[in-house]
Amino acid sequence: MTGLAKNVWVSPDLPGFDAILDSLPDPVLLLEAQGAILWCNTAANRAFEQVDPSLPVSAIFPRLTQSLPAVTAPVHLQLESGHQKFEATLTRLDANFIILTARAPQSTSLTRDDVDELTGAAKRNALMRAIDGELAGARQFAVHCIDLDRFKVINDTLGHGVGDLLLQKVADRLKSACRAGDMVARLGGDEFVILQRDVPSSEEAERLSARIVDLVGRTYVLSGHTINIGASVGVALREERQQARDLLRDADLALYEAKRAGKGRFRVFEPDMQVSLRERRELEIDLRRALALRQFRLNYQPFVELEGNNIRGFEALLRWQHPVRGNVPPLDFIPMAEETGLIVKIGEWVLRTACEAAVSWPENLTIAVNVSPLQFKSDNLLDTVEATLKETGLAANRLELEITESALLDDTENVLATLHALRGLGVKISMDDFGTGYSSLSYLQKFPFDKIKIDRSFVVGESSDSQAILKAVAGLGSSLGIAITAEGVETSDQLEHIRSQNCTHVQGYFTGRPMNDAAVADLLQSQMRKNTNA
Amino acid sequence: MPDALYQLVYYSRNHIAGDQAAFTANVENILAASRRNNVRDGITGALLFNNGCFAQVLEGPLGVVEAAFERIQQDERHGEVSLLALSPIETRSFPNWAMGYVGSSAAQAASFSAIGQGSGFDLSLLGSEEIHRILRDLAVEEESAAA
Ligand SMILES: Cc1cc2nc3c(=O)[nH]c(=O)nc-3n(C[C@H](O)[C@H](O)[C@H](O)COP(=O)(O)O)c2cc1C
Repeated sequence: MTGLAKNVWVSPDLPGFDAILDSLPDPVLLLEAQGAILWCNTAANRAFEQVDPSLPVSAIFPRLTQSLPAVTAPVHLQLESGHQKFEATLTRLDANFIILTARAPQSTSLTRDDVDELTGAAKRNALMRAIDGELAGARQFAVHCIDLDRFKVINDTLGHGVGDLLLQKVADRLKSACRAGDMVARLGGDEFVILQRDVPSSEEAERLSARIVDLVGRTYVLSGHTINIGASVGVALREERQQARDLLRDADLALYEAKRAGKGRFRVFEPDMQVSLRERRELEIDLRRALALRQFRLNYQPFVELEGNNIRGFEALLRWQHPVRGNVPPLDFIPMAEETGLIVKIGEWVLRTACEAAVSWPENLTIAVNVSPLQFKSDNLLDTVEATLKETGLAANRLELEITESALLDDTENVLATLHALRGLGVKISMDDFGTGYSSLSYLQKFPFDKIKIDRSFVVGESSDSQAILKAVAGLGSSLGIAITAEGVETSDQLEHIRSQNCTHVQGYFTGRPMNDAAVADLLQSQMRKNTNA
Repeated sequence: MPDALYQLVYYSRNHIAGDQAAFTANVENILAASRRNNVRDGITGALLFNNGCFAQVLEGPLGVVEAAFERIQQDERHGEVSLLALSPIETRSFPNWAMGYVGSSAAQAASFSAIGQGSGFDLSLLGSEEIHRILRDLAVEEESAAA
């Protein structure tokens, strides 16, 4: 190199240095040691609004202030000018001069069609091109798939105008978390992807993911509204992968795991995730067939009125008997049923089967049926209940629907309207698992429930806290005129304790295990005999 | 509506690492940027630092207050920003302060410790009204001391 350079110096008809530097696509600035701009090339003039010789370089890059004299070896920096980011290199020429070269990030090679108008983020095609470009190179990089938690609720309640503003701010925050060379893309709705270039280790990728979760999750103030959303992030590193598609799929899988783990967090892809995905797929396939193959059963657990010790009804409990899996506990398949929406069809079957069973019982007995929050969202719950009562001939006041607090969390207005309409049919409404949610008490204000079922943890709990809560809720119920069922009573001591509080009903192993319909018939028979004998 | 006067109150946790000198340099930098931007935007208010927490009152037209808050939210020098209040106001409480800082002078430190020490004073335990009141009282003191 030095040899060549020396030869070049002597040739007489070479272009001037200005011409050479002006032909470069990237900005070059010559600085005096204290930071005053002495000279710049054409690209710099184009890139920065005003480059006046004698201005300090901090007029262009506000962050470059005192640190210049310290530059000895070349320094690489991420700088911003206006709202554009640059990768800059500072090189000392000698005691008096410093050269600053700046490179706009690669993403500036986007055309208008590549950019999402609303947020200024890249669109899918541009992202795929950029990932392919990285795959063609040798460097490590990472892909982060980002989903906004609760965005839909904001959009639905505050309107699209606010939703759009929010997306813009989210995109801004994502850009501010990224380095100059990274790319922020929006794939539609509230789905964002970040291509993080030049990632030497997975810690680097995790740092960005964590920063995204933190930054996007901070409160927004928009048009006078205070808005809180969260971000879930799944990240996959390039590693051995050859295809943009595979990388996005794996990042997406990690995102799915992040959301399953409770949202507002990130997960790095691990091969195990594919295994658990396959297991879930198989579960889903089996679950989709279960109704048609008649693998569901209902069991019925009696609840007893404390005054008089009489059975007042049964709660229908769903059981899945799979020929290979055996008895699948509800906790293992209900979440999947909700995720896939299958719960709506399953719920209809439960309702119908339970009502058919109850018709054959004495008329003073009620049947309690659990309703999933998803069934409220499906819009036709009211029609389904009305039709089922009509077709089975069960009197509406013998049906009790149990809902959990989570049904009231989202879209509260619509859910309340449906509850009132159901009540209008004569159906009873009870609140299940009371005390396990965040704000059970506030929901009691919103709807006049017929019954509260206190979660078993307060019934079997011996701590003074659970005792106090049990007592308070029972007291509340009796003063509001709401029936109170204590769940999970297993021993006679617990039963005696419950009696001493203001609970009206109990349900638990001690007063009756879940049983099939034949056992229900037997139990009712023996009760009748006992009553006639007495 | 974007022009209606609003007041925003929040507190946050300091993330500036390093010694007292690093902290002072960063706070000076924050205050310089704040004063420059806030004068331009018509924002007034006060910033308080104590016990590892910042608390700030921003007041001005809604649009610019929102924009300033968004910049502040993205600042890595603090975190766990808790918004305590965002409400329309009739008049400003800090009309003369582009961004007053409480926590620097000896006098402030003294009056602060008077409020604080014994009671285990923690900004994060205060409501927006209390933060607002403390900042206003200290600002008034500061102004009368300067006069
Ligand atoms: C606790 C704290 C309070 C701040 N207060 C303000 C403020 O009142 N006004 C402001 O413009 N910037 C404030 N900032 C700084 C912003 O986060 C951001 O760095 C600055 O607005 C950028 O300004 P510039 O683009 O002019 O450099 C604050 C930062 C912190 C950490």
